[in-house]
This record gives sequence, C-alpha cells and structure tokens, in this order.
Amino acid sequence: MTTRAVTTEQGAPAGTTMFSLLRRYLGPQRGMAILMAALLLSAAGLQLVVPQLLRRFIDGALASAGQDRLTTLAVLFLIVAVATQLLNAVATYVAASVGWRATNHLREDLTRHTLDLDMGFHNSRTAGEMIERIDGDVTSLSNFLSQFSVRVFGGLLLLVGILVALWLENPLMGGALTGFVVLEMIVLTLTRRVGVPASNLEREANAKQFGFIEERLQGLDDLRANGAGDYSMHRFRTVMRGVYLDTRRAWMLRSVVWLSSYGLFVIGLAVTVGSSIYLVRRGDMTVGGAYMVFQYLFMLQNPIEQITQQLQELQKAAAGVQRVGELFHTESALPVGGGAELPAGPLAVGFEDVEFHYLDAAPDQLTLRGVSFELAQGKRLGLLGRTGSGKTTLTRLIFRLYDPSAGAVKVGGVDTRDVDLQLLRARIGLVTQDVQLFRGTLRDNLTFFDPSVDDGLIVEVLEELGLGSWFRSQERGLDTELDSGGRNLSAGEAQLIAFARVFLKDPGVVILDEPSSRLDPVTERRLERALERLLHGRTALIIAHRLETVERVDEIMVMERGRVVEAGSREALAADPTSRYARLRRAALSLDLNVGPGAGTRALSAEDAELLEDLA
Amino acid sequence: MNFASNPLRLTLGLVRQRSWLFVGSCALWALIHVLPVVTGVLTKGVFDSLSGAAPAGASAWTFLAVALALDITRIGVFVAAIRAWATYWVEITLHLRHNILRHLLTAAGSRRLPESPSESVTRFRDDVNDIGEYVENWVDFWGFAAYAVVALTIMAFINPVLTLLACVPLALTLGLTNLLRPHIRTARRASREATSRVTDFLGETFGSVQAVKASGREGSVLARFAGLNEVRRQRALKDTVLTELFRSVTDNMVNVATGVVLLVGAAALRDGSFTVGDFALFVTYLPRLTGIMTFIGLMFVQHKRTGVAYERLGKMMVDAPVESLIEPRDYDLEREQSAYMARGERSEPLKELSVEGLSYSHPGAEEGVQDVSFTVRRGEFVVVTGRVGSGKSTLLRVLLGLLPKTGGTIRWNGAVVDDPASFLVPPRTAYTSQVPRLFSDSLEENILLGGDASQAEVEQALDLAVLTPDVEQLHHGLGTEVGTRGVRLSGGQVQRAAAARMFLTGADLLVFDDLSSALDVETERRLWDGLFADRDATCLVVSHRRAALERADKVIVLDEGRVVASGTLPEVMALSPDLAALFVSDNGSSGTRDAATVA
Repeated sequence: MTTRAVTTEQGAPAGTTMFSLLRRYLGPQRGMAILMAALLLSAAGLQLVVPQLLRRFIDGALASAGQDRLTTLAVLFLIVAVATQLLNAVATYVAASVGWRATNHLREDLTRHTLDLDMGFHNSRTAGEMIERIDGDVTSLSNFLSQFSVRVFGGLLLLVGILVALWLENPLMGGALTGFVVLEMIVLTLTRRVGVPASNLEREANAKQFGFIEERLQGLDDLRANGAGDYSMHRFRTVMRGVYLDTRRAWMLRSVVWLSSYGLFVIGLAVTVGSSIYLVRRGDMTVGGAYMVFQYLFMLQNPIEQITQQLQELQKAAAGVQRVGELFHTESALPVGGGAELPAGPLAVGFEDVEFHYLDAAPDQLTLRGVSFELAQGKRLGLLGRTGSGKTTLTRLIFRLYDPSAGAVKVGGVDTRDVDLQLLRARIGLVTQDVQLFRGTLRDNLTFFDPSVDDGLIVEVLEELGLGSWFRSQERGLDTELDSGGRNLSAGEAQLIAFARVFLKDPGVVILDEPSSRLDPVTERRLERALERLLHGRTALIIAHRLETVERVDEIMVMERGRVVEAGSREALAADPTSRYARLRRAALSLDLNVGPGAGTRALSAEDAELLEDLA
Repeated sequence: MNFASNPLRLTLGLVRQRSWLFVGSCALWALIHVLPVVTGVLTKGVFDSLSGAAPAGASAWTFLAVALALDITRIGVFVAAIRAWATYWVEITLHLRHNILRHLLTAAGSRRLPESPSESVTRFRDDVNDIGEYVENWVDFWGFAAYAVVALTIMAFINPVLTLLACVPLALTLGLTNLLRPHIRTARRASREATSRVTDFLGETFGSVQAVKASGREGSVLARFAGLNEVRRQRALKDTVLTELFRSVTDNMVNVATGVVLLVGAAALRDGSFTVGDFALFVTYLPRLTGIMTFIGLMFVQHKRTGVAYERLGKMMVDAPVESLIEPRDYDLEREQSAYMARGERSEPLKELSVEGLSYSHPGAEEGVQDVSFTVRRGEFVVVTGRVGSGKSTLLRVLLGLLPKTGGTIRWNGAVVDDPASFLVPPRTAYTSQVPRLFSDSLEENILLGGDASQAEVEQALDLAVLTPDVEQLHHGLGTEVGTRGVRLSGGQVQRAAAARMFLTGADLLVFDDLSSALDVETERRLWDGLFADRDATCLVVSHRRAALERADKVIVLDEGRVVASGTLPEVMALSPDLAALFVSDNGSSGTRDAATVA
C-alpha cells in the first residue's frame, strides 16, 4: 500500500548511518563512554597478568625459591584476579547505563516523530508493527550499544594482549596460536550463519504453537458450545507435529555452532600442548611457561566466542539502524499549519467545493466530490448515508487528519491549513463508537496523561455527565486502574468516558461518529442527557446509522458516493414527504413495525428497501 | 504449597512414559559430564611428565593423545545426547500442553479460565517450560553428581587439607548465590514488567493513534512514554547490577579457591609432595565444581518453581485432578496424522427444553443470574432481553454449561441434563457468542470446524447467514485466510461467519447472543427473513432489537439477573416499564402507539 508519507533526504533529526546515530545519542554521554573504555582497558591488562603470575609461581616453586616470594605471588594473584572481575562488572554496568539512556532518547524521538506522521502512514501499519519498529529495532541497537562495546572492545583488547604475550614468550607458539585464532574466527562466523535460520525456525514453530493455543482459549466458548473440541485437538496434534520436527531440527542445527567451537578447542589444545611439550623437552620453555600458555588457551575461548557472536548482533543492529533511519526520514504529508488564531466559543464549520481521495486510491476515485456546506456556530448537523458514502471521511477533514485534494475546509472561518495543527485539534472533540482506553488510571484515561488538568474539574465533569454515582462507587476514585480492553467498564460507561474526555477539552466543535450503536436502547436513553450536556453551546456534526440518533439536530445532510444529495433543515425535510429523509423515516418505521410473526410478512416495497440500504 | 502438587511425584509419573528415552538421555549426558574428570587426570599427567614428577615410562605425548581421543569421543556422544534430549524435551512439553488444552476443550463440566486468555498462554508457555527444565535438571544431575564425587575423591587422595580449604570458598559461593538469586529473580521480573508496560503503551498509542491525534495531547502522551521508559531503564540496570554481582561472586570464588591452593600449597610444591600436575588438576576441577554447586542450588529453586507450576496448571484445569496433566499420550508425533473423521452422533430430536430455577453467581465482577425458569418448545422463537448488565449473556452461558450453574435444573425432553457442557452441543444445540471468535485458517475451515457438510449445505448456511455476497467479493472465496482472530474480516462478517458456522451444525436449537449488534438494518432484516422461512428452526436469542422482539413467541425480560417479565410481547410490555421505555426511545414518541397497534 502506498502512503502519503514521503521519503526525503533532508530535515530528518538523524541520519541513517550507525555513526551519526551514535554521535547524536551517545555524544551527550562522552564522559561515561571514556570511563567505560578506561575500565575495560585496565581489566584486559590485569587479566593478562594472571597467567604470568602463575608461571612465576610454578617456576619459582620448582626452583625452590623462597617461601616469601611464593606467598607474595599468591597474594598478588588473588588481588589481580578479583580486581579484574570487579572492573569488568563495573564496565558492564556503565555500558548498560549508557545504552539505556541513549536508546530511551531514541525511542522517545522516534515515537514523537511517528505520532506526527499522517494517517496514511498509520493506516497501513498495525500497532504491533509500530511496537516492533520503535521498541524492537531500538532494543537490538540497545543490546548492541551495551554489549558490543564491552564484549568486542574488551574481548579484542584481551585477544591481542594474549597473542602479543605468546609471541614474546615464543614466536613459534605465538605463530601457531595466531593461526588458530584466525581459523576459529572464520569457522565460528561461518557456522553461526547456520544458527540464525535455526533459531528463526524454532521461533516460528513456537509462535505457531502459542498462537494456536491463544486463539483456542479466546474462542473456548465458541468451540465447546459448537462441539468442536475433538476437531480442535486433531488440528493441534498437526501443529504439535510441526513444532516437534522443527524444534528438534533447530536444536540439531544450533548444536553445529557449539560442536564446531568445541572441536576447534580440541585442535587448539593439541597445538598448544603439543608445542609446549616439544619446547619444554628442547629446553626452550619452562614448565611454568607451558602452564601459562595452557591458561592463555583457555582465556582465548571467551573473547573469540563473544566477538563472533557480537558480529552477528552487529548485523541485526545495522538492520535496526537502517529501519530507524527510514522511519526518521519518513515525513508527514500534512504541513504543521500556519499561525492563524481560532475565535473563542463555538466554531462554525464550512466546506468549499471540497474534493478528496485517499492516496492509496486512484486520483479519479474520489471519496468526496464537490462537497460544500456551511454550518453556523452552535448548530447541529446530522449526516446520513450508507457505509462508504464519505460521512466519516468528511469529519476527518475537519480535524485535519487529512487535507482536501481540492477546495477548502474552514473552521471558525479560518482555513484549517492556516491554523497550527495541535491548536486546531485541541478545539475539536471526537467521539467514535470505539472507545480506546489505555492501561492506566481513570484520570490518565480522561486527560490523556496531562497532569495539569485539575482533579476537581474532572470530578465535576463526571458528575455533569451522570457518571457521578459510578465514580463514587470506585474505591480508588480517579486512581482506579482501567485496562486497555476496558473490560472493567460497561459499554455505556466506556461511552460516557469518551464523552468526558471531550468535555474536558471544552471544544468548539464536537463530532459524533455513531457513538451509540453498541448500546442497548435503555442505556442509550440514559446517555441522552449526557449527550445533551456535551453538545450544549457547541457546534456539532453527528453521523448516524439509526434515524433516532439524529432526531435532535437542526440540519440534515444525506450523502451518496461522496456527494451531498440532500441538505436542509430537519424540520423542513421531515415535512416534505418527497424528501429522502422523510422516506427514510417511513421506511424504517415500516420495517420495524409491520414485519413480525404476528402480523404476517408484508414485503417491503422495492423503493423502501433501497432506501434502507442507503441508510445502512 | 500443598502436597498434591509434589513436583517429584508428578514428574516421576511424567518420565515413566517413554522412560527409555529419559534413561537414555540421563546416561548420555552423564557420560558427557563425567569425561572431563579423566581430562583433569591427563592434564596432571602431561605436567608431571614435563616437570619430571611422573613415574617413569609415562610420556607427555601419550597423555596428550589419550586426552584428544577422549575429546573426540565426547563430541560424538554430544550429537547423540543432544538429539535424545531435544526429542524428549519437545515431547514432554508438547504433551503437557496437549493434555491441558484437551481438558479445556473437551472434558465434561464448565471451563472458566482463571485468567485472561493471554495470561493463560503465558502459563502454557512458562509453567510448562519450568516443568521441562526440571526434568532437564534431573537428566544433568547424575553426571554432575558423579563428577563431583569422583573429582573430590581424587583431590582428597592428592591432598586432603588443600581439598578441604579449596572447598570453603565453593561452599561460600553456594550461600552467596542463594542469597542473591531471589533478588535477581525479583529484579528480572520487575524489568520484564516495565518492558511490557512500555510495549503495551506503544501498542495502545498506535492502536488508537486517531484518538491520540484528535485529542491534540501528543505532548502529554509522550511525557508518559518517557516516564515509562525511565522506569524501565532503572529496573533493567538493577537487573544488570545484580546479575553482574552474581557472576562476580561465582567467578571470584574460583579465583579465591585457586589463590588458597597457591598460598597453602606453596610449601608442598617446593618439597615435591604437591606437583605442578596436581596443581593443574586442582585448577581444572575447581571451576567445574563451582558450576556444579551453583547447579545444585538452582535445582532446589527449580524444584520449588515446578511445584508452583504444577499447581497453577492444575488450577487452570479447574475440577480435574492434577494427575490428568500427565495422562499417557495417545498419538505419535513421528507419524503424519490421518484425516479428521467427525463423529456422527444421533440424538433425540428436541421437543422441549425446560429450565427451572437456574442460578449462577460468581464473586468476581461478572453479573449473575438468579432463579431463572423458562421453557423453549420446538419451533419457538424465544428472546431474552434486558438492559446491559442484566445477565442475558450470562444466562445463555450458564444454560450451555460454559459457566457452572450454582443451582437449578435443565431438562431436555423431560430428562434431566447432568452436564450441559457436554450435552448441549451439536446436534442438539449450537451457539454464537456475543463476540464470536474465528481462527487463523481459511473461512471454510472456520465455518465447518471439522464437520462434513456437502457443498449445497455450505451454500445454504452461507445464504441463511447473509454471507454469500461477501464471500463472492473475497479474493479467494471460501478459501480466503481470515487472519489472526479473523482480523481480515469486518466485525459484521465475523458475526455472520459465526452464524453460518452455527447453521451448519444442523442443531435443533440455535442459541445466539446478540447476533445483530454488528449488523446493519438491511442485513439483519434478511437474516431474520431467511431464518423464519425455515419454520422448523427453534431459537433462543439475546437481543434488544425490536425486529427480533416482535417475532418472538416468548419474551423473557431480565433485570439484575432475575426474570422480571415473561410472556408474549404485549404481556411483557404491560409488566415491564423498561421494555416499554425501549420502544419509546427506539422510535421517537410515535413508537409506543405503533408498537401497541401491532400487538
């Protein structure tokens, strides 16, 4: 799907390269980074000393050196070994701290940037995808920042140090082990490539398994009450077989990495111990020296494994950086808007020859065609028309989720494009049938996390909208936790919360997109008073699927295929028996009242049926 | 913790199935864990030979050759051991999940998950993995124990005092790590929770991005995000600190033990009673012994966790004994399954379903029902109505046994139904819930659910559910994949697909919960018309739409879980002010008059 979002080369807050990202987000923590490097350098240095101490100790003991000298060496060994550990631990902590700070900044910048993108961008992406783009990609970068530096930088220092020490000890030994290290690096890098698809295989198998289970648990009632339990288990056994074969295969593939590193170690052992035996026998090396080399061999394993593993992480991080860069370079198709001011109080809404098509549709597939109307401030407009006639799109242009392709949308007499986007939206309230709640307190859900809203005002609004008794029954008041599915709220309460959100904004225009379709008529009737309070003294546009919803409006507009096909005052249209509105009302009545088992089935007239389809 | 879920007893029952694979895994891994003992001895041999402390004739080259041969053997054993354990691990974890799911889906009685489905999936994953890891502990245990015993014996033979002294820091490790471990677990859990708060928040924000944008409060939303991020950073760092501390303790204790050997052994080394080879052997054994200490500590923790895991899984199985978790398997994963054969069951056709004094109450938030009685006769259309929260949906679910009734009797053609959950299913009854669920499969699979219907029957059901035009518009028709939970279909399409699914069962009594809530007026009209053309249909329906109410042979009005009125529509309208109110609001002031005329 194409989106309105475009990719440009300038203006993005960060470049696409790893380097520019690092400079931008690590720059402020330069001090910490230097500290970390110093810690790692000292740790690697100290670690190199340990086998040297052991050599002196062994050679000293064999040569019957003084007890004092041996004790000193043993104590030194203890101090150095413990200090190395501590330095490494502190370096790891510092790296993690730097990594988290930097990537949290990055996450926040990305979220801000992405939230500002236009709806064309968001409509083509699921929330899960956005989690992956903002948290998943950045987290791979965060692992990289906190781990890579320590493991690769620290590991390389150690590796080079060991090889240098070995060259100094004996060029033959140094050469042999350098060759061995190179071989091991190459083989491990190659075998790790086998490991990646293996891990993916296992992850996919598990995703399939748990996806299957979750869906069945969600649909437990449907399956049980429709006798599909045995069938579901039959399907699950097929899934199980797939998981069984894939997981085992993945384990076997992954073990290749492990086995080859073990096999290489055995080769290393043969080379080291073999040449040690040869050199000691020739008298070119002491027994202590042989032991030191033996220790160095063990010490080599860790950095080699860390470095090859981190190189793999580097690929992941690079892919993450690239995607982060792409996201930063995506720009909103909606300019921020000008500096015009909106008048206070209710706002008039006007459309002037508005045409609109979604960017993923062909330019001739207009969703709105030549729409013009003028809704005076404080008046209420009812929008009728079947699904897809453009009603919802029309309202989206008012709070500038999109800009018109041609023509102009005016709010309070000002072109919406001339007003700052945030200011415009702050003056328009929207209530849809889906009430979206966040996991958080009632207060957070009402204010969208804005801490500056006064608690007294919130309570006042709840009372005003008839939620007072419900609110008082909540033990923790405004701190009551709501969950994101709104499971602890009835549909009516959720709708009232949506009303309260809008009420708190005190907007000049209210848009209601069929807010009551989920409610039963009794609950809906209870909402009426609240709705009346909400709309009082404000301009309103109301989209309705059911006619009774628009009984209280001043004006009616009927839409069909993006055009306004009828408009006028509700009273005048209702009084005119030839108007679409009047016919719709008649048709709705006849459907509800005359088709019942008691009354016999009287078919609707073809004309009425068609009208009803318009309404639906 | 109670003894009913003693992890050892249950795990023993579990490994008794396919016991040869378990025993084989234990043996192979024991070999892998024990072989390094020999390597230590060979290392000693090499250094003793080099320093001239070895008995005559023992060549360093021989020791090296034997060591290499052993290592190569070990690699071979690894391949077999990994395959055996991988097979066993996947088998037992899958089998546990299989048994729980089978119980939830097919066992008699009501199934009410103690937690939300997504939390339950976590149980399926993590608790079952806990049990798997516990079995893994036992597979590793024998080899580790053997290594520790043999290694300590050899060390004691060489120098008992040094062995004892070197073991002191190792014992300290055990104590310290046991002290640290619960803190690490708490820290990790806190860090994970903070992470899921962050991702949930992102999901909520972008899931309702239109609402966020319309609110004009992006600033405060972002501030909240930054707050959650900061909490996550702090918790992640705490986790890092504790993990590093843990690692430092274990690694340092090996160093301390080595240092102790150096300090105390210096004199013995000088006089030759403790050789360089002995020292090499000690240094080779010490890290592994520490590792085994840590392992034993972890195993105790895992033992406790596994008890909790069994208990929680048992809770999910509600009324079944926890032993049913480990029921033997009746399938073979190595072979492809045969095709599913629906079990054709004949039953006595419905004459009358009667409900007497049906009650359900639950301490949770859910509404209950109290003392509900009614009868549905063949061919009748019975509508249950009432305001939101009056217990309509609960009534249907209790009737069908989806929730456990706390009182009352259900009779099918006069005979008492003992377990409605397994009796009130096709071919007797079929059900569409208020928010029906589809599964990520083709639309056809979703509608058939394993039933064997002819092409004509499928078409008829689609027609009846007013789904035919939609299917024609889909790219792959009935073969269209509906996506996770049916996301690729609209809400109305999901509901009508569920209706088609219900029609296809050919059940005598159709039970549906507010089928029309996502349907527009025209679609709803067609659906009712189609259903009533088939005069034999018997329906029990929750609805507040007048289109349904006016077709009803009987209307039952619920309020706060009790029947407040029941009878024909005019009868209940006279009794229930709520229902009368419904008609007033449904059609403006003229509604009451018109409804009364019809009545």
